[in-house]
Amino acid sequence: MAFQNRNKFCYFKENGINKIDYKDVKLLRRFVNDQGKIMPRRVTGTSAKMHRKLVRAIKRSRSIALLPYVERGIDK
Amino acid sequence: MSFYETLYIIDPNLENRTLEKTMNEIGKELEKTKSKIINHRVWGKKRLAYPIERQKYGSYVIIQFEGGDQGEMIDFDTWMKLNNSVLRHMTVLLDEKPETYLEEKKPDLENEEKESIESETEDKPIVNETVATKSEPEHEVEESIDQDKSPSEDENLEPKEVE
Repeated sequence: MAFQNRNKFCYFKENGINKIDYKDVKLLRRFVNDQGKIMPRRVTGTSAKMHRKLVRAIKRSRSIALLPYVERGIDK
Repeated sequence: MSFYETLYIIDPNLENRTLEKTMNEIGKELEKTKSKIINHRVWGKKRLAYPIERQKYGSYVIIQFEGGDQGEMIDFDTWMKLNNSVLRHMTVLLDEKPETYLEEKKPDLENEEKESIESETEDKPIVNETVATKSEPEHEVEESIDQDKSPSEDENLEPKEVE
């Protein structure tokens, strides 16, 4: 129980961000794994409200080729 | 009135003149919809996350505008689709009025790198005299190298094409 909340906090709440720009690739990359998949909320700890905005931003930037839909892992 | 932002990708192989020409064309076409353009600027040449029409790179251009006639804006959208010099475009609704973009004078990365390297080489003969002055240019070089490296790392990954 003591370790339950370790390392888990909403990045956006912590930094006072309430808008996510789809052009901010550097930020969005943090919430995407090496395959280009969106990381689940249970891993990133993002609040539900911001996760919805995050998902929209990631999908937008995918459609304009700023983020990949699929990316190969580093091994291959 | 609502505000919109259109981001479009233009063939990177076009010369600067033709790029400006197509930008002007697009601006004129957008003005036909009675919308007021607030910003129209080149965002820069970027590596695409996946190839579009066999292009690996693209010049990104941003237009921010106050929306005009809804029906004609749909026409603008189809016009953009049919425009061959535009690889891809996307219009997004903004939730507040965008600020007018003032051009920042970006220092040329290449020049900066050269300068920092020069300064380092100049410092080298006088080794260990001043630690602080030596460490500063080194940091600059590291940063600029990092910036240069990041796209090339992506190159090796070869993102898969998705249909």
